[in-house]
Amino acid sequence: MTQHLTERDVRGIAEYARIGLSDAEVAQMTIDLNAIIDSLKPITEYDLAGVPPTFHPIGGLSNVMREDAEEAGFPQAVALENAPKQQDGCFLVPSILGEGGDR
Amino acid sequence: MAATRDAFACMGVRDIQAGLAAREFSAREVAASALDRVRALDGATHAFLETTEQMALEQAEKIDAALSAAVASVPGAGAAGAAGTRAAAEAAGAALAACGPLAGVPVAFKDNMNLAGTHTTCSSRMLAAYVSPYTATCVARAIEAGGIPLGKLNMDEFAFGSSTETSAFGPSRNPWDLQRVPGGSSGGSAAAVAAGLATVTLGSDTGGSIRQPGSFCGVVAVKPTYGVVSRYGVVAFGSSLDQVGPFARSVADAALALDAIAGRDPLDCTSQEAGAGFAENLAEGVRGMRVGVVPAFMEAKGLTPEVRAKVEEAAGHLRALGADIVEVELPNAQAAMSAYYVLGPCEAFSNLARFDSVRYGYCDPGHADLGGQYEASRAKGFGPEARRRIMLGSYLLSAGVYETYYYPAQQVRTLITQDYARAFEQVDCILAPVSPRTAFRFGEVSDPTDMYLSDMFTISINIAGNGGMSLPVGLGAETGLPVGVQLISPQFKDHNMLRVAAALETVYGPAPVAPDFRECATFEAPAAIPDAAEAVPGKDLPGLATDGDAAAGAPVQGATNKEKGGSPMRSEGCEASERSMAEPPAPQVKRGGEGGRASSAAPTKRVPHEQGSPVDCPGEPGLSERLGAAEDARSQVEKAGE
Repeated sequence: MTQHLTERDVRGIAEYARIGLSDAEVAQMTIDLNAIIDSLKPITEYDLAGVPPTFHPIGGLSNVMREDAEEAGFPQAVALENAPKQQDGCFLVPSILGEGGDR
Repeated sequence: MAATRDAFACMGVRDIQAGLAAREFSAREVAASALDRVRALDGATHAFLETTEQMALEQAEKIDAALSAAVASVPGAGAAGAAGTRAAAEAAGAALAACGPLAGVPVAFKDNMNLAGTHTTCSSRMLAAYVSPYTATCVARAIEAGGIPLGKLNMDEFAFGSSTETSAFGPSRNPWDLQRVPGGSSGGSAAAVAAGLATVTLGSDTGGSIRQPGSFCGVVAVKPTYGVVSRYGVVAFGSSLDQVGPFARSVADAALALDAIAGRDPLDCTSQEAGAGFAENLAEGVRGMRVGVVPAFMEAKGLTPEVRAKVEEAAGHLRALGADIVEVELPNAQAAMSAYYVLGPCEAFSNLARFDSVRYGYCDPGHADLGGQYEASRAKGFGPEARRRIMLGSYLLSAGVYETYYYPAQQVRTLITQDYARAFEQVDCILAPVSPRTAFRFGEVSDPTDMYLSDMFTISINIAGNGGMSLPVGLGAETGLPVGVQLISPQFKDHNMLRVAAALETVYGPAPVAPDFRECATFEAPAAIPDAAEAVPGKDLPGLATDGDAAAGAPVQGATNKEKGGSPMRSEGCEASERSMAEPPAPQVKRGGEGGRASSAAPTKRVPHEQGSPVDCPGEPGLSERLGAAEDARSQVEKAGE
């Protein structure tokens, strides 16, 4: 099997995807991802010169616009209903600046 | 009472509506008995995550009130005599029709579909405490069409899987053999219909997630052309691949349900006006239709002989019914698999970025920095397969890698789409296998890349956006388990596959309820299914699997809900040390008609049926013979396995 990713790569991807993994999980994830990426090999072996990409299965669609008219949305209380933490009608998150802030 | 309860379970849409119009029973009786049956039998299948009793009863009362008002308005309705009765029946029939095409029909929804006031968990710890503030368009339409909502159905976590083994609430079981998976990701939707716990259910299909469980559980399962059904309010997995569709036990019921949910929705700009009336041309037959078969599919590595034999048998029946069977080539179809496992994870990575532990979803407590909160919440909220796919998508979209996999996958998508367009110049519909094999045992397929092979015949249809469906064609000669054949339509010609399916159904008959779930079935462990009446945002839906009680695959990381206990039907004798963690204990079958409990010596062994014991369901002529054959095949398999 080709080594597509090292454990270091996997740590980088995890950080980008915002998924905290333990050392053991990084090791297993490295094995799993290498196996899956290996199985994707056929994609790299096609002669695709000049073939346009298809990003969406249904062709011929045009953008959809509507009148710029006010419509009912969620009231603030409903929008906050499922928030794990809230305060004064806002979503509450840990401080991102200063003491105890984000990296 | 039990007989009545089970009679409704076996009825199709038309039978229920005929009974309601004739005032033989009320919608309330249908709703109450359906809920009774779910509570009595779903301990065995674990198809339901939550019931919606109040909504079901309110909907039923609305229908009953409309019927009563219509009958009362008929002059002389109270008077005796055939004329008065006929006039009353006509008025009731008209009132019922006005309630919608699914009036009085028990329906249930995959748990990635929002229904206001219910949990919508996607079978994930991430959304265990999420209660929908709004309703998905497909769900709203099914209810507006008169459907009686029974509840929400189990699935693979975020629809990542082909077995329901990745559900954070524990897997569902196949009603045909409780030791086997129902397929996935819409496993609960298929199992509920196969067990006679609902007449119609909705599922979603990104790479085969409607069709493969439909095949494994022996029910009609339709993935319409991309855009036929609105995706608004359905939690997104692969936005260019996802499509919603119905499960039912007959083609007509599936077509009626599709009629009810299809059509343009201003809230989903990819939805299309598809021209309803899917149920209208079902009886036209296939004479003169051209049905394609793909020789390369039939020779595919991994296709089991019993499935291949069933596809060939179905082709033979279609030829006998007057269809032209034409060989067509899909030369790039073998690339669909790798294209899908590039595109799917990339779209999933993007879609699942929204779970930020701030607006909704699991939030790991006690973090002083936002980055730490994100990472811990997403690590603990997502299960192993979800994390794998997010990581894979993240990698595939990164600079340098994008050009190697993602862009070529989109080019391959063009080739596959062109293949189908060329094939459909020659044929009206394509006949193919659904899954290469029948339902597998829990834990039998544990390698992720092996599990992905389950979808080898279904994936290219999502890539190209065509319609595809699974039609049950009886039981496999070797395993004695249900086999489905796949019928594939050109884009927006879903009528074609439904018409071919209806013709085949005249040979195979409608899908039967699984043997253990027919009349008078009872199980040792009744289900303690949570009800939406208890749903409060922020409070976990009960039933999350705990660390030692994890679904197959890998243990759920960071279980934080031990105090909630395991899922109700798995509360005893399922210590990880006593059995493979991959194999959930199957509840004992107790056949009501046989008067007595099954032996407790072998708690996970299904009790074999006595020959001739199955009871015909009303309105399904010719079922006995097919059931007899099913029993024979099954008992041979059981003997062989001993």
